[in-house]
Amino acid sequence: MKNIHSTQFILLLLFADFIALLFGIGFGSSGIGFKQLFTDSANPLVSAIILNYRLPRTLIAMFVGAGLAAAGCSLQALFRNPLADPYILGVSSGASVGAAIVILIGIASTINIVTAAFLMALLTSIVVYKIGTVGERVPVYTLLLAGVAMAAFLSGVTSLLIYISAKDMHQVVFWIMGGFWTANWFKLQVVSIPIILSSIYLIFSSWNLNAILMGEEHALSVGIDVERFKKKIIIVSALLTSAAVSVSGVIGFVGLITPHAMRMIVGEDNRTLLPSSLLAGAAFMPFVDLIARTLTDGEIPVGIITALLGAPFFLYLLRRSRDVT
Amino acid sequence: MLLEVRGLKLVLGSSEVLRNLNFKLERGETVGLLGPNGSGKSTLLRAIFGVLKPVEGVIYVDGKNISELNIREIARKMGYLPQESAESRLTVRDVVLLGRTPYIDSLKIKPVDIKIAEEALEAVGLSGFEDRKFSELSGGEKQKVLLARVFAQKSEILLLDEPTSHLDISSQIEIMSLIKKRIKDYGSAIIAIHDINLASAYCDKLLLIKRGRIVKAGVPEAVITRESIRDVFGADVEVKNFGGRIHIVPAARRSAISNIRVHIICGGGSGNNVIRNLWEKGFMISAGVLNVLDSDWVTVTELKGDVIDEPPFSKISEKSHSENLEMIKKSDFVILTNLSVGEGNLKNLEAALAAAESEKLFILEKDDFDSRNFAGERAKRLYEKILNLTQENRRFNNETELIRAIEVLLSDKRFTDAS
Repeated sequence: MKNIHSTQFILLLLFADFIALLFGIGFGSSGIGFKQLFTDSANPLVSAIILNYRLPRTLIAMFVGAGLAAAGCSLQALFRNPLADPYILGVSSGASVGAAIVILIGIASTINIVTAAFLMALLTSIVVYKIGTVGERVPVYTLLLAGVAMAAFLSGVTSLLIYISAKDMHQVVFWIMGGFWTANWFKLQVVSIPIILSSIYLIFSSWNLNAILMGEEHALSVGIDVERFKKKIIIVSALLTSAAVSVSGVIGFVGLITPHAMRMIVGEDNRTLLPSSLLAGAAFMPFVDLIARTLTDGEIPVGIITALLGAPFFLYLLRRSRDVT
Repeated sequence: MLLEVRGLKLVLGSSEVLRNLNFKLERGETVGLLGPNGSGKSTLLRAIFGVLKPVEGVIYVDGKNISELNIREIARKMGYLPQESAESRLTVRDVVLLGRTPYIDSLKIKPVDIKIAEEALEAVGLSGFEDRKFSELSGGEKQKVLLARVFAQKSEILLLDEPTSHLDISSQIEIMSLIKKRIKDYGSAIIAIHDINLASAYCDKLLLIKRGRIVKAGVPEAVITRESIRDVFGADVEVKNFGGRIHIVPAARRSAISNIRVHIICGGGSGNNVIRNLWEKGFMISAGVLNVLDSDWVTVTELKGDVIDEPPFSKISEKSHSENLEMIKKSDFVILTNLSVGEGNLKNLEAALAAAESEKLFILEKDDFDSRNFAGERAKRLYEKILNLTQENRRFNNETELIRAIEVLLSDKRFTDAS
């Protein structure tokens, strides 16, 4: 794909983001639509729903989608492994344990859940990283295995926590399934700053990620300090993912699928692929959230929808790529 | 001097991988690192590139100690092509552009970088491949793209780790020629290579490495000898020198040696194949009378057979002739090859006659005797006499049948001896 095409494609994605934002604001279970937005904007209920609820919720969804897709894309390139996703470092299971503890000991305020989830997510990724480090190097396979093992262990811990205190089980399970229904401006602040900064860093790393794609030894040969670069990308991805998970719970498949779908359109070059994944994630997530909150009278956790949509799509990609290569 | 390695010692884990290495690389020079797998060739290249830190010793590039440079600075001075295979679906253009990484700040690619990348791609003959996917190229094409990537680095020194492994012969030659051409225009190279023939064909100097130590260094003729290859590779080879170009072939393997003696009357290369074949089958061989440096003489000498010889271009003396007859007496079989006869070696026919009289003679005749007789009537009469004394089933027009006949005869003989 030539450069001019990728620029056009990115513009297209930006437009999709804009539409996603409009839809996120314009639709909802309260029945307030675009019409009221313009005719009845003085109505305090309308402005309250739009400004205090739908707008932060849609923006959080966009940030989370963008962040997960960007982290997934970077880690897939870094590990040269198509199965890598943002949760590979055990972030999601760590966050779940953090949230579960706070909920089960009965101090489940928004700020407590977010803080506990964020810290536990970060802590888990640090532990995984330390276990995966051999000497001064971080071999890909030890890191992946450490992540898988850690995730399994922490899932067990979460299950145990749920089991021993059946009273609040519902709330914990709901949190783990992932969703944006508790969105507010505080959460937006928490999630936006790390995601914006991390994403900028990742986009500026896209050239080096291209070099890593060729193999670590080849990246080294063009003058990249591979071990240091790997550390930075892992840390930034962990930070980004922890922020996303702390406000939205565990939303699967977005970080895995989005980069793959974009890769099929724009190719492997991370200079295009990373921004494309980021923008596509930002457009995709609010749409899925819209489905989650309008499909039924109640609200379906977004994680369920992404898994239901994502997994079959992934299988489709798998079959297609098998035909291609 | 472009590069100097002084007292290099490197330890990986608990084992010493490089031990006290010293060598220099001059401008315009191609140095080949030769040694078996695991001898430390790749390790040495990585140490020179500054990726592996030595416990002792220094490496100077352009007078600078590389331990004081960061990897980006090193990548501008040296273009390193690792052995690790590369795989990605990046376009060829993007892969070659990666060679500009040491010169690019964040994502700012300048038109000059694109121009250099295009030139590098042109240098390896792949213009027009820019938008192809790297993963969809053939093995040879991939290696050329990687070479273009290294060329785009614009470094004076190339460090190439097995640039031709896994490639077919035509790609091997192409790749080596591209490297050679590049060095001629631009700098020098150190190439780790395990193909000895390729190394001696394309390198000015070779370092023979065994267990992390340089055991021999110098021009290919000096480094590659039967002994040094046996010592370092543990392989038995014959070293040939084709006008200064060294070539090795696996040494012939000899069957169990028997005590059957075969004497070959030959000359001018007419005995070459018979001698080699019989030697491989384990016969004790001798030949005569030959002039020194005659190609049959070279063969027999190489195989350490007995030769009765005369100085070059001289006639067979009485002394040699009687030695020849003596040898025929000792031998179980005698073979008269398809040799040309002149005044100088006429006595060889007399010797053959003696062998025919004692019923030991086998004759190999490929061409009509007249066409190879330069000694007139006398030789012709001698040859006819020989033919008369030799049974039809001992005359052959090719080596294979001749040798088979000798073998059959031998097994029959053993059979009758035993009974």
